Amino acid sequence: MNGVFAMDNNAGSDPKFTITNNIRRLRFFADEMTQVELAEKSSVSRQTIIALEAGKYLPSLELAFRIAYAFGVPIGEVFECKIEGIMNK
Amino acid sequence: MTYNSKKNIISMAAGVLTIAAYIITVRAGDVPAPEDIAAWAKLMLVFIGIGIGAQIVIQILFHVIYAVGIAVKENDKDGEKTKKIINASMKEDERDKLIQLKTLQIGYICAGFGLMAALFTLAGGAPVVIALHIVVGSSAVGSLAEGCAGVFFHERGVRNG
Repeated sequence: MNGVFAMDNNAGSDPKFTITNNIRRLRFFADEMTQVELAEKSSVSRQTIIALEAGKYLPSLELAFRIAYAFGVPIGEVFECKIEGIMNK
Repeated sequence: MTYNSKKNIISMAAGVLTIAAYIITVRAGDVPAPEDIAAWAKLMLVFIGIGIGAQIVIQILFHVIYAVGIAVKENDKDGEKTKKIINASMKEDERDKLIQLKTLQIGYICAGFGLMAALFTLAGGAPVVIALHIVVGSSAVGSLAEGCAGVFFHERGVRNG
């Protein structure tokens, strides 16, 4: 694949990964699914869903897949990663 | 404030009450002689038991009040919605375990410093009863610090790694 982003190791600084999620939007489009329902479907507590939506917690890979499975969408639709401090080689 | 934060605060309150009760008892003067370590140890064991009992009672009361609060807030008459919310709140998941690990570490550090301080006190020639109080006191402080850290991580958020 062309235009693959690579880390700029020579720059002397690590790239910054900013992970965001669309859980609130996905809940809205899933017939206004409640936080309790999503928590039950993902086997986590309601507080974890609240923390995720508020951007106060980054889930494990397994939980990320569980949430995507609960919505029936690919994981990339739930979580997005913005990488700063990289160069296109 | 989340369910876990409230639970931590209630737990800390029970701890503070137990410590306060111990301090009041000791200050009242009806205590063993400083060299009677066995009697001091028994007194401390009694208060540890009282502390555990207080924790259980206060937690039961908290959960009853929490459930009633949710039922009133949600205007839930049959209790189904309340049950669902409580079950979803009480479930322990990866985030809780991560916070638990971080807070336990703080508790162990406090207890470790207490043990070191007690050893230094003994090495300095202080009575054993002082060292005993430092060990038990640091464990109590560690437990409170754990609670504070738990509230902090639950409210502010926690990061992996």
